[in-house]
Amino acid sequence: MPRKSKEARRAPLLPLPLVERLLSAAMARGADFAEVYVERNTSTAAMLDEGTIKSAQSGSITGVGVRAIRGAQVGYAHSDDLDEPALLRTAQTAALIAEGSRETGPVNVSHVPLPTYYQVRTPLASVDVSRKIDLLKQANAAARSYDRRVQQVTGGYADQTREILVANTLGHLAEDRQDLCRLSVQCVAFGKNGERRTGFYGGGGRVDFRFFEDFSPEQVGREAARQAVATLGAVPAPAGPQTVVLAPGWSGILLHEAVGHGLEADFIRKGTSLFAGKLGEKVASELVTVIDDGTVAGGRGSINVDDEGNPGERKVLIEHGILKGYLYDHLNATLTGQRSTGSGRRQSFRHAPLPRMTNTYLAPGDQSADEIIGAVDRGLYCRQFGGGQVDISNGNFVFEISEAYLIEKGEITKPVKGAMLIGVGPEALKNVSAVGSDASHDPGLGTCGKDGQTVPVGVGLPTVRIDNVTVGGTGA
Amino acid sequence: MSLLDTCEQLVKLAGKAGAAEAEAYAERTRDASVRVRDGEIEQLEQASSKGIGLRVITGQRLGFAYGTDLSKGGLKQLAEKAVALAKGAAKDPANALPRGAELGAASAGDYDPAIAEIPPDWKLRAAREAESAARAEDARVRKFDSTGAGDFLSESAIFSSRGARGESRASYAYVYCSPVAEADGQLQTASWSDTRRTLARLQRPEEVGRIAARRAARMLGARKPKTQRVPVVFEPQLAAGFIGGITAAVNGLLVHKKSSFLGALLGKRVAAQDVTLVDDATLEHGIATRPFDGEGVESRRTAVIENGVLRSFLYDATTARKAKAKSTASASRGWSTLPSIGTSNLYLQVGKLRPEEIIRGVKSGLYVTAMLGRGADVISGDYSRGANGIWIENGELAYPVQEVTVSGNLLQMLQGIDAVGNDLDFRSATAAPTIRFAELVVSGA
Repeated sequence: MPRKSKEARRAPLLPLPLVERLLSAAMARGADFAEVYVERNTSTAAMLDEGTIKSAQSGSITGVGVRAIRGAQVGYAHSDDLDEPALLRTAQTAALIAEGSRETGPVNVSHVPLPTYYQVRTPLASVDVSRKIDLLKQANAAARSYDRRVQQVTGGYADQTREILVANTLGHLAEDRQDLCRLSVQCVAFGKNGERRTGFYGGGGRVDFRFFEDFSPEQVGREAARQAVATLGAVPAPAGPQTVVLAPGWSGILLHEAVGHGLEADFIRKGTSLFAGKLGEKVASELVTVIDDGTVAGGRGSINVDDEGNPGERKVLIEHGILKGYLYDHLNATLTGQRSTGSGRRQSFRHAPLPRMTNTYLAPGDQSADEIIGAVDRGLYCRQFGGGQVDISNGNFVFEISEAYLIEKGEITKPVKGAMLIGVGPEALKNVSAVGSDASHDPGLGTCGKDGQTVPVGVGLPTVRIDNVTVGGTGA
Repeated sequence: MSLLDTCEQLVKLAGKAGAAEAEAYAERTRDASVRVRDGEIEQLEQASSKGIGLRVITGQRLGFAYGTDLSKGGLKQLAEKAVALAKGAAKDPANALPRGAELGAASAGDYDPAIAEIPPDWKLRAAREAESAARAEDARVRKFDSTGAGDFLSESAIFSSRGARGESRASYAYVYCSPVAEADGQLQTASWSDTRRTLARLQRPEEVGRIAARRAARMLGARKPKTQRVPVVFEPQLAAGFIGGITAAVNGLLVHKKSSFLGALLGKRVAAQDVTLVDDATLEHGIATRPFDGEGVESRRTAVIENGVLRSFLYDATTARKAKAKSTASASRGWSTLPSIGTSNLYLQVGKLRPEEIIRGVKSGLYVTAMLGRGADVISGDYSRGANGIWIENGELAYPVQEVTVSGNLLQMLQGIDAVGNDLDFRSATAAPTIRFAELVVSGA
């Protein structure tokens, strides 16, 4: 049990007596649960293009979301006016989900003690913007000096200091400050006959600004430049089923798309996911153990507390191929007699929470990358990846390969372009034939979209070989 | 205080804080929605939101700040922050606000009072009707991802020290249904929705539910076809997705940076004769119709591709100045973002063929009804996207297929469009009729 912090608390985002009055108001028509969510989000961003800083910007958003639940029915309202009458109206609007009236007693909330998984001492919002701009200039210089064919460099830096307060009628009160930053660079390399290839790299997380002393902007710029140049002269990716080897790190997006979304409890409760009702069944090769972990130190998807006031957790979703658990938020857990896994997340106070992933990764195996690649007679080595998407009902998922090479007789050979992988989640995971010992998290770039809400996430994967995956491409 | 007054006040405060030029853009919205499950309310949501963004230019340097606090104190803080931020940005002579004849003075918008006065139970009724119609349509539809209806009202205002001054209102009503059909252990989902600026034009909820159910059920039993090169037909929403993806290639900024596969082809034939692509912010009842763009420039119609010939790129004021072109009033923005180049109502001009005729012309090929992934890479010109659909045999829709990708080269794809349908419907801001590509790579088993 983590100990309660002894530091003096700062004033809460909203006075607690008012929070308690809002909870009472939200219950006034007979709801069985109510929650108040207060958020203040201060963000800074800067953009570099064509060699210069195009803009620096900053914003601040504050608001309150009130949720009332009666059975399976949810009322949600929010306000960016923080005066008491406006907030009471917001709570009364959420209360409309229940029909009737009830003598509501007073609600009392008290703090839930929280551990911390972040590595942030100084709020990112208080770091001078000129230091953030310097990162971009350094990354730009490094990218341009990498190779003269790198002719376009676009860089972005963004951070936020997000303070939240969540209180509910179970008496829970949680407060958290969630800082997040990200530096990224895109390069375009120009080859012969109008050929253009793109490279993209970056990283960050819930980390102190000093993170960029180790994860240097020069390294980010060079890696983006390397990717762009590496695939100049690439031949079209061969189309059709083949053996693929995924390099470690951001390739974890495979798990995020192929299984992660399908294990979110809203889809499970509604029976719309192909993983519904399969608990205890074999859904992947025994080499596959999938974990969703909100407690990774400094991770982009890490959370001390979710947006419903429940602590972040490490959950084993699939263990040696057997489906072990789903990702629960409060609502779906309550309706199905389960426990929240700390997976209730939301984009902002303007959104009702949904069950979401945090950092999703594959446990390491025992083979080396060389062994895994060496055993492939003919296949595709995927080194860098773009985005992905899944249809959770039929399980079809795609993800884009931004840097790939042919494997011929156990050796990595020619670069190929325009590759994309498509599969059906459980089938692809049953075809996993080797898992490396080189587990690695992505550098901190991922954003996940669901029902129009985005949240930061992390993914991770060691080197993995999958047999018989359909590769989209235009080559023979 | 009106939004316009608030904008004016903020611009004045920015001047006092040291901005040479300043522009404020504010929005206020009201949205209300309902989602149902098994005929019962699943979620009711209602909210009002507001926000304001301030762009300042001082010594040719650009700063931007935004927030939700519209009090005098909040605005003053914003003004000071934006001016301070500008000091960190680089000098750029292209940094200047649009002025004079470019600006639209009109205060208008496509606003339907009927939407503002929608009774609360209309949304519940509409959502229930859509859900029960979907259920009645096919016995294999028993589950739903979600079904709902809602309305959205917004007003926006812009004011700048260079003469921009405008107010606009918009109204939207929508209904959607995403059923899941199930048979032999396979689940297939599909969705159908309609969004309109006026309530009277909204598709009937029962029809939305029925179409959604048919789309889910017809995918049951989907299998994976062999890898092959065949003609591929995109139904209207996917055709719209394709032209939406292509549009990044006519973004004036990407063109200026030589990062578009169409960048060097202005005035050249880039697509088949039947391809005419238009961006029109003045389209009657268009989802994205507006009196002026995100920096106050008067809305217009721009033919991007005309009978296959590339006629125009899309510009905002800053990029136009840089590229020595004229703004096409293509600045998109919200209050929390700087203006950037985007489309308004973007559509592929209607053709002559009925969709059945387009399918009938295919001996063996793919009719695409849903896609996954991003698709077009306008920098490299590569295209690859996951697809589901119906296999065409001897001119007839024969059986459902899934887990394939459709790939090609964007320029060759544009030139290879060999049929354009007569079924253009402006269901969303980007719209297209059915189109057929003469040959693409379909990757499967």
